[in-house]
Amino acid sequence: MLPNIIAAGLAMGAVYALIGVAYNVMFATSRVMSFTAGQLGMLGGVLGALFIHRLGIPAIIGFPLALAGCALVGVITEIVAVRPVLGSLDKHLYVLSTLAFALMIQQFTAIEWSTEPQPFPRLFGIGNGGVGDEKFWLPVIACAVAVIALEYLYRRTLIGHAFLAIAEDNFAARALGLPERNLRMLGFALAGVVGGLAGFSAGELLLAFFANGALLNFYGFVPVALGGLGNNRGAVIGGLALGLFQQAANFVVGGVFASVAVFVVFIVVLLAAPQGLFGAPAARRV
Amino acid sequence: MAFGLTRRHFTRGSAALGLASATLARPAIAASEPIRIGWLAALTGPSSTPAIGFDRGVRYQVAQINAAGGVKGRMIELVTRDTQGDPTKAVNATQEMISRVKVHAIWGPTNSGESLAVTPIMARFKMPNIHPCVVDSLIDPVKYPNAFRMAPSNQQWDDAVRNYCLNIAHAKKVAVVGDTTGYGTSAVGASAAAFKKDGADVVYQAQIDATQPDVMPDMLRMKNGGAQAIVVWSVSAAMEARLFDARATLNWDVPFVGHPAMGTGEIKGLVAKPENWDKVYIIGYKSCSFGASGKLPDRSQAFVDSVKGKIALEDTSLWWVVSGVDAISLVAKAVAETGSSAAPDIIGYWNTLKAYPGLFGDFTYTPEQHNGYPTNEVVMSKADSSRMGAFELAPGYT
Repeated sequence: MLPNIIAAGLAMGAVYALIGVAYNVMFATSRVMSFTAGQLGMLGGVLGALFIHRLGIPAIIGFPLALAGCALVGVITEIVAVRPVLGSLDKHLYVLSTLAFALMIQQFTAIEWSTEPQPFPRLFGIGNGGVGDEKFWLPVIACAVAVIALEYLYRRTLIGHAFLAIAEDNFAARALGLPERNLRMLGFALAGVVGGLAGFSAGELLLAFFANGALLNFYGFVPVALGGLGNNRGAVIGGLALGLFQQAANFVVGGVFASVAVFVVFIVVLLAAPQGLFGAPAARRV
Repeated sequence: MAFGLTRRHFTRGSAALGLASATLARPAIAASEPIRIGWLAALTGPSSTPAIGFDRGVRYQVAQINAAGGVKGRMIELVTRDTQGDPTKAVNATQEMISRVKVHAIWGPTNSGESLAVTPIMARFKMPNIHPCVVDSLIDPVKYPNAFRMAPSNQQWDDAVRNYCLNIAHAKKVAVVGDTTGYGTSAVGASAAAFKKDGADVVYQAQIDATQPDVMPDMLRMKNGGAQAIVVWSVSAAMEARLFDARATLNWDVPFVGHPAMGTGEIKGLVAKPENWDKVYIIGYKSCSFGASGKLPDRSQAFVDSVKGKIALEDTSLWWVVSGVDAISLVAKAVAETGSSAAPDIIGYWNTLKAYPGLFGDFTYTPEQHNGYPTNEVVMSKADSSRMGAFELAPGYT
């Protein structure tokens, strides 16, 4: 039982973590919580299945194509649902605009793809459904690669430093001549790639299903809240913890009650640490 | 005596003449007007698959009857409205059919959600209605004397599954699972209660979230409980495919028995290996099942042979198509036998039917019983054996 809990728990935890990172990447460059993060994950699975399974494109080409598609949706999100409401962030209009756009993505996928879950291709054929199966470990590997790549980007590259500058102080960064709009669009494209990677790597587990978007939106938000908004390391730890706890609860109390258990713990944690387990309370000049 | 034509005489005379002409003309009009049959069909949207199958049978039978000269010279006019599976649209279409189009009978809707919404409306207008929806409460000859079911009810499905598990597969320890929808929850509760009542040991009873990516926890509980059969009540093909894959991972050969959704073609693409779909037995019907000889029962085989090249059967279920044929035949037969398309005559005729030989089954109705499909026609079929919309019988039937 324990190997099953660890394998499935880490797999789902890695997916939640990646969606949490996608939330954070979008937030860092725009100060907007974009509720399209889960839909990017869903699109990763659907586009992967479309290119590789339905159109027969080799996986090595289908994979970057799927990520490119998600990046494009990320950019469109910035143009359609984020940019028009940036002037009134204090009114939180982005909640409505990003949720509406997320709903449009979901319905469009349902109409053009299918309302039923569709198969996702086996990528390497490793494992026989047990704990060693690739469907459990691909999301974990994808999560590790994404986190290392993001750390490298933020710490070792000029463009990464520009991202951090925008996230730290938008006005100061603009005053220094940084192309804020272009960097924001790039940030949303990057979030699209991260979200798409989550969905693609978990395609064999979640299948290519239009309704996965809402599920990932919901559970992907939990690690953000647990780890602290904008904190990628917190999101990864929060996501993996959520996956493991959820799977353990599945084994102990059963599927329906597992969701209840997850949210009981989530609420208790937020009551104890409202800023998230790894977030610091924001300092305010008085 | 002077005879003066006053305005009052003229008005009275005109009214009398109008009344007389209307009364005299009615039989002539009724004898020639088309028989309008309303068809409430969810032809688009997420629940459209069955209605598309029903529609093929409906259109085929209407064309056959009209090509043969109609019913006593009266053509059948099909009035189709696409409800998209939406109860609100079904209500609007029903009201339009009754009030504006003035149909003589209505066939459908074909899903229970819509039917729950429109059945009281049809009852208020005493509209002859025949449908294939499974929810038990849709048939009540006291509340809805106009409504007739021509497919099994939930209760009949449940009885057939229980009979197969207990008496044919001899599985006394069963697990009963479903999804978390309203249907899944109620079906699991009713099924588990009936198993217990019949002396079976229900070792596991649960709702599984259809989006749950790993069902291994539930499968392990069922295995540890010693289940000899797993009864599934869900329309989620993804959840069912995950259950089959988890069984294969556990090297467990327990049979799955239950909802027909386990036999949809989508499952084939969703399971990790085709053999994971073995030992899955779904609710089926004798009339639409291949026997040991590889042939359908005579009536069904004759129909399938006659429609070869005319109706596509590979991508649908045969029982949907033949039900569509039977629905039109039942209305046409009522008009032919009574010589009338008036609602009381159609309803009155249906109430007298005894083993009416349809393609889908032999229908029997009385004023007190409007569940017309015979329970002994409901059988279990091998889920992975679909051919021309029909299935092979599950092992154990002779």
